[in-house]
Amino acid sequence: MELTINNLKKSFGNLKVLDSLNLIFKPNKVYCIFGPSGCGKTTLFNIIAGILPADGGEIKGLEGKKISYVFQEDRLLPWATVEENILFVLESHYKKEEAKKLSDKYISLVNLSEFKNHYPHELSGGMKQRVCIARALAFRGDILIMDEPFKGLHLELKKSLMDYIINYLKENNKAVFFITHDIDEALYLGDCIYVFSGPPIKLKKEIEIKIPPDERKKDKEYMEKLKEEIINFDF
Amino acid sequence: MTDFTTKNKKSILNKILIFVFWMCIWQAVHLIIGRDIYVPSPLSVFIRLSELVFLKSFWLSVLYSIYRVVAGILLSIVIGAITAVFSAISAFVLNLIHPLMTAIKSTPVLSFIIIALIWFSSGNVPVFICFLMCYPVIWTNLVTGIKGVDKKLLEMSKVYKVKKTVVFKKIFIPSVLPYFTAACITCLGLGWKVTVAAEVLSHPKIAIGSNLHTAKAYLDSTELFAWTFVVILLSFIFEIVFSRIIKKHGMEDKIGANDK
Repeated sequence: MELTINNLKKSFGNLKVLDSLNLIFKPNKVYCIFGPSGCGKTTLFNIIAGILPADGGEIKGLEGKKISYVFQEDRLLPWATVEENILFVLESHYKKEEAKKLSDKYISLVNLSEFKNHYPHELSGGMKQRVCIARALAFRGDILIMDEPFKGLHLELKKSLMDYIINYLKENNKAVFFITHDIDEALYLGDCIYVFSGPPIKLKKEIEIKIPPDERKKDKEYMEKLKEEIINFDF
Repeated sequence: MTDFTTKNKKSILNKILIFVFWMCIWQAVHLIIGRDIYVPSPLSVFIRLSELVFLKSFWLSVLYSIYRVVAGILLSIVIGAITAVFSAISAFVLNLIHPLMTAIKSTPVLSFIIIALIWFSSGNVPVFICFLMCYPVIWTNLVTGIKGVDKKLLEMSKVYKVKKTVVFKKIFIPSVLPYFTAACITCLGLGWKVTVAAEVLSHPKIAIGSNLHTAKAYLDSTELFAWTFVVILLSFIFEIVFSRIIKKHGMEDKIGANDK
């Protein structure tokens, strides 16, 4: 499933955030999105997700596709438990029993089974973030957008979730967009690293990591070189 | 369990002591003034009340007044909810209704009662007045509630393509519920006050307000106090019943979670 962005435009007042943006995203890849705050990354993905309307241009490849989104903030229903929050997005697309099974599976994946009947105000920031990740994965979107999803998570869980996403991608025909400021996360998870500047948002650099994620540890030199390249990038 | 029972007993004892304290104050004021026509003694009021409860006309008056309060409040809830939804959706409707609400809020109840006396039959005036006084409260609270719904949650449900009925049930209702409950509690107190006031002025055949009016005409302060006590008691019972309904449906927990 290829996603093609043609001539996309978006302004807020006089500020042009997207100015005739053209991009192509290929399927079965994890795209890591880098860029300074306010460059227009979130606006771009909000348009892809259908939250914001574009002023002009088109996005091809979205027809009939389901999107999972891990937002920067938790966006959980405060009056619903962890389980109810996940079922809330599943109920409209899956049968009750299937929704329940999916919800249980992903709550367990993010190590929250003991807390499934807890309300968001009873959870820590990191736990809430895990609920959002579980919600996005349980929904099984064709496109998975994650906006700094691993903030506040401890290393072990972060690693196991990143491994899960890599496998999840292998098994299904999915596109993953991973907006982050953490270069190590990007190099662990990403297939392509897109470095943006803006506004208006512009693709400044495209780095393709040719080694598959599970073999990256072996080629430390190459990975270090890539890291240096991103750190020293002049926006 | 024992702890709970002790606490419960203490709370009942506290309530009794508070009641006795205010009865003593009432009795003291009665003794200081020394004339039944100004302040009758609590004992004489309760004796009169105990006489009244054995009369069929007493229960009929209570029932009719309850009917008027309930009808007025229900009407304000239905019309308030419908207009609040449209006002929250459209800025034009909001701007259109807003001056009407300000006018209703700032106009003296008496003016409305006098106008309503010309428009409606005496039995319907209190219903109309109750509706008119409660409507702005319901409307204002519901508009605030609907407008206060977290936009980020709505965006999230849009991304996940959640059905509109589910969004209404799981986002709108719990968000608006605390505002609606607060409005209803205000209306239950306000409703009794204005309905009885309208009954006093419109004196329908059977009504608590008409009995108050008769007591006033005969300068029978004891009966006046007895009927006033009935209104206070009814308003209190209404509030308790409403709180029980909310508790029974588990809405309180959700409201609590919402506040945190």
